[in-house]
Amino acid sequence: MSTTLLRTFQPNQFSLLGTSLLRRRRSNNFSVRFCGSQTTTTHEAKQSSPTRVAPKNHKSNKLDEILRDYEAVIGIETHVQLSTLTKAFCSCSNNYGSYPNTSICPVCMGLPGALPVLNSKVVEFGVRLGLALNCDLSLKSKFDRKQYFYPDLPKGYQISQFDIPIASGGYVDLDIPLEFGGGHRRFGITRVHMEEDAGKLLHSDTGDYSQVDLNRAGVPLLEIVSEPDMRSGIEAAEYACEMQRIARYLGVSNGNMQEGSLRCDVNISIRPIGQAEFGTKVEIKNLNAFSAISRAIDYEISRQALLYNQGKADQIVTETRLWEEGAQKTVTMRKKEGLADYRYFPEPDLPEVILTKEYVDSIRASLPELPEAKRRRYEAMGLGMQDVLFLANDVSVAEYFDAVIGKGAEVKLAANWIMSDIAAYLKNEKLSINDIKLTPQELAELIAAIKDGTISGKIGKEILFELLAKGGTVKGMIKAKDLVQITDPVEIEKMVIQVVSENPKQLEQYRSGKTKLQGYFAGQIMKMSKGKANPGLLNKILLEKLNAKD
Amino acid sequence: MATRALLAVIYASPNRCYISPSRIKIQSLTCSSSSHYYQRQSRKNHRIARSYSSDSDSSVLQPPDVARLAQTARISLTPAEIEECETKIRRVIDWFGQLQQVDVNSVEPAIRAEMDGGNLREDAPETFDNRDSIRASIPSFEDAYLKVPKILNKE
Repeated sequence: MSTTLLRTFQPNQFSLLGTSLLRRRRSNNFSVRFCGSQTTTTHEAKQSSPTRVAPKNHKSNKLDEILRDYEAVIGIETHVQLSTLTKAFCSCSNNYGSYPNTSICPVCMGLPGALPVLNSKVVEFGVRLGLALNCDLSLKSKFDRKQYFYPDLPKGYQISQFDIPIASGGYVDLDIPLEFGGGHRRFGITRVHMEEDAGKLLHSDTGDYSQVDLNRAGVPLLEIVSEPDMRSGIEAAEYACEMQRIARYLGVSNGNMQEGSLRCDVNISIRPIGQAEFGTKVEIKNLNAFSAISRAIDYEISRQALLYNQGKADQIVTETRLWEEGAQKTVTMRKKEGLADYRYFPEPDLPEVILTKEYVDSIRASLPELPEAKRRRYEAMGLGMQDVLFLANDVSVAEYFDAVIGKGAEVKLAANWIMSDIAAYLKNEKLSINDIKLTPQELAELIAAIKDGTISGKIGKEILFELLAKGGTVKGMIKAKDLVQITDPVEIEKMVIQVVSENPKQLEQYRSGKTKLQGYFAGQIMKMSKGKANPGLLNKILLEKLNAKD
Repeated sequence: MATRALLAVIYASPNRCYISPSRIKIQSLTCSSSSHYYQRQSRKNHRIARSYSSDSDSSVLQPPDVARLAQTARISLTPAEIEECETKIRRVIDWFGQLQQVDVNSVEPAIRAEMDGGNLREDAPETFDNRDSIRASIPSFEDAYLKVPKILNKE
């Protein structure tokens, strides 16, 4: 007799297809492919795949058509793995990548008699995230047992929060990237609650067994449930990005989708425009990148709309579907046989979680400037949205930028340097901005030196590379390499005359009409001056001399 | 401890389990989180939720569905055992049913029994000394992993 089972089932589509070992668990599907390195900003990662842009343009017309008749209603459940030192309910180490089954103890193994004790940091991170998401905090909340059987769940239940989460009723403000239309959005947050993670389950391709690693069992999670406010794949992907941004800004998690420290499940339904009732909701799992979120949603909207148009709307059933990155489509995992029965009841082994007003206030006071506040501040400084979104995306980059302008550098110039040359360097060398040797102070110096004409812009770019790699001071380098720009017209004139006299043939050609040769002369003079001649002055004097004898 | 068992039985019941219309009503918490996703939750309500159903007049506890209980607990019972258990469990529930005699209309429901919260632990790692014996006691432990049957869509 078929019974109520796990709401989401596991595996095996993948194992049956004989793909490489995939780690799976109830709600974490971890592909071995990586989308974008850790150091590139998510903003860049989304922009960096040109192959994605082309099909999108092609499909977007079709999608636009669909969206004229149907509205997509999307909500996202995000699990954030906290970067605490220990697990949620025991003192085992919480670190990624340890040798299997070494970070264990009777509590997280669910051995008889062991009792959970809550990690104070988990509450602190929960409060921080709740406040950052503008939620109301429950000064009294409790834990509940969510009961189901699965090999990666040692106790046979997960300690979670069911009806009284630590935070609820919040919202998040974000900006849609310009290439997708731009604009502000506000999405509601239904709740944030604390819970523990399960272990890792690996399925073997061959053989009829699986393997369990319980290092991860008991690791603390914060689950963020959004209101079903998103209406497109782009909005959903940006929401997920913002969750990652906020988690990193707060320092509660490193938010790596690749490592599984940030997991998103999408709930999506569509309804004819104007209809008040929601359509049938479908859950999508196995989304390992922000771009996958948006592509999966686009696919699912098309799939559901097609069924509606064909009069087969009843074929859309409440189910969990997996996103297949290779095939670029969603497939049924299993149809739901009734809602899962988790038999929630209050966790008897844990006392209430009580927050005092003083505690909450002290945490509120210690919150850093959040992404939204930074974006608005940068906008107010006069930066364009493109720059704002780039600079505020990564908290380290924003800090660096703030430090540079704190030393007096001009806002737009500082932004340009960081966004172009420095960003390119970081990408090439696969570094983070914290690794470069160029201090914010020196960047400000460099900008000032170029601005007041001490060195030319070109020279500035040249020494930037060395400063990034090896450090040092701008002043020191200018002195050591004798880079000061030549701005004395008399000196430049000497060089111009010399070069002109050394190149009579070209001069002849220039005079007879080949005015493009000015560039050749300019190049020669630059070479002679070792790049130090001020370009503007050089060309002015050169032109005079070239045209003089006419 | 006793309340724990009672709660476990009540929550395992598939039906809305109401003790009496004028007493505390315990809303059956059997919805999965997928349904609370669309549910409007009243945030400030820290009470054990009062049942929203208004059609109950029964002051009798519903008998437990033992077959379902056994299924959810993954315990196999023969039909004879089910019958036997049903009587026994029913007797326990009726014994607890004495609590219904208490008039709690003027009492604010508490979310937990004890008065003080707290008991938090510092976030400082400690390695458990005897991990070897934990691993040794695992029936099938191979190549650093717990070896378990592969579950393929069976109940």
